[in-house]
Amino acid sequence: MTAAGSLQTDVLVVGGGLAGALAALAARDAGATVALARRSPGATALSSGAVSVAPDPTALPSTTFAARAGTVESARRLAALQPGHPYAAAGVALDRLWESLEFAARELPLLAPPSPRPRWLATPSGSARPCGLCQRSMVAGDLAEAKGILAVVAPRGHLWFDAGLVAGGVNRLAALGAPRAVIARLDLFMWEEAALGRPHDLARLLEAPGAAEAVGAMLRRSLPAGAAAALFPPLLGLSTAARVPERIAHAAGIPVAEFLSDLPSVPGLRLAAAIDERLAAAGVELVRGELAGRGPGEAVSAGGREVRARSWVLASGRFVGGGIARRGTLVEPLLGIPVLASDGPFSQAGAHLASRPAASLTRRDSGSAQPLLSAGLKVDADLRPLGLDGRPVHERLFAAGAVIGGHDQAADGTGLGVAVFTGYLAGRSAAAAGGRLVPAPRGVRA
Amino acid sequence: MSASRVVALSYLAWRALVAHPWKRLAQRGTGAERFVASYAGEGLVPTRPEDRAIGEAASACIGCGLCEAGCALSGAAASVRDLGLRAAFRLYSRGTAELPLARTALEACAACPGCDPLCPTGVPITRIVRHLLSRLPPSYNPPPGPP
Repeated sequence: MTAAGSLQTDVLVVGGGLAGALAALAARDAGATVALARRSPGATALSSGAVSVAPDPTALPSTTFAARAGTVESARRLAALQPGHPYAAAGVALDRLWESLEFAARELPLLAPPSPRPRWLATPSGSARPCGLCQRSMVAGDLAEAKGILAVVAPRGHLWFDAGLVAGGVNRLAALGAPRAVIARLDLFMWEEAALGRPHDLARLLEAPGAAEAVGAMLRRSLPAGAAAALFPPLLGLSTAARVPERIAHAAGIPVAEFLSDLPSVPGLRLAAAIDERLAAAGVELVRGELAGRGPGEAVSAGGREVRARSWVLASGRFVGGGIARRGTLVEPLLGIPVLASDGPFSQAGAHLASRPAASLTRRDSGSAQPLLSAGLKVDADLRPLGLDGRPVHERLFAAGAVIGGHDQAADGTGLGVAVFTGYLAGRSAAAAGGRLVPAPRGVRA
Repeated sequence: MSASRVVALSYLAWRALVAHPWKRLAQRGTGAERFVASYAGEGLVPTRPEDRAIGEAASACIGCGLCEAGCALSGAAASVRDLGLRAAFRLYSRGTAELPLARTALEACAACPGCDPLCPTGVPITRIVRHLLSRLPPSYNPPPGPP
């Protein structure tokens, strides 16, 4: 945290979520030296912990899991239907979506290798989401693959997760190919210090030596007849190294998985911790603190340290991460890049969201798209943010993740998929961008 | 003009021209001091510019609970933990009258900076807790009541 002199790197990544991390790792993998500046773990820690890349936009609610398009084909269909979406903005580069998913799974070993067909994972609210990438602790809960009866584990007396809602949701999906779900009530957290535990407290309790084995033995005793797998609330350890799902599965004798998480999200925290660990191991220089500066090539102050980088990847997130802020109008606070992109009626080129009254960016109808929630930067096919004149604001400034507009990253089922895809591409482009350390040309600040 | 109207207007004129100026001349202390004299007993103290700044900083909290993963409060008593540090400063940073209700949670804070770098929206949590602690009335005794 102390000022340790100035730092010169090839690539500076701004933002520490999944997009920023993958940009840093992709650039590092391509041989560049990388610094990553961030204030906090990023909104990735608030995610469900799985990466839903793209739902099939052409599927009907009654289309079976088996009849739906695969992950990459779904993203292609989505890009064709939504011209403002980052998948569409990337153009032919969308061919590299699969490559980016494989890269993410290789770099973050807690993620299972991507499967061509999305895994259908149960959510805590009684629905299921198609996920192109998920954590290894979730694989056995894939509703499209599970055979036999799924035992949904309900910790008796705890209010955080409603197993009845989850099991009911799975059973409603039977016509699509989901297995039958039965609730298995366990006296999991009945001792005093666990009684009012928050999810991360409970996850830590399961990491203790013997705790996961005891849970597994308890599960084995109360398994419903014919159970082929057990679906736990997303509490299976804060650290992957504790191997909680494996230990429970070994003691119980059946495969064990966790369903997706609500907030606060233990799998999200686990993903953020895995990112930290991997960034350190890959030799990415981590700079903590606020950032102030003008753009690639120029010295910036980050966490009290002077950083100079040839190219930048802006992965500062959206409203939570602070990449886009609403100060009367919508602004990009770091470099002042205009906020141009959104979906819905403002997806046409040149819609300058900051010039619109805020009331026009929200809709009364809660079912329709909310332009405010998909507001962000507009990018070209190389993921460089565009200025008001439609040209990149800087030759070697790239954007990744939720700071790119045109998709509602929290709701449309492509949030972390866009982070993985754009992070990977932006990191590779930033590493390949030529040029020397020269002052930025005019016009970085719009 | 009716008699009652004359009486009413005369009363208003007396209030405006005599009673109010007389009160202004007779009163002691600044406005802030008189505010404290009148309302401090109810736990309401004036909002200073630094209090306003703290309130604005706290308003960036989205209640995600990420800070609590790195918070030593999880070692505190169950009742305090149940309230949570986040709830303490979200609920009580605006009204000082209810601030003493958060006293146990605020005082259980070990003032380690563990939560600050965890906040995705950049809320200066330890600074807010320190400020709220300094605003707690020093000699507050909870009113007697059923436990």
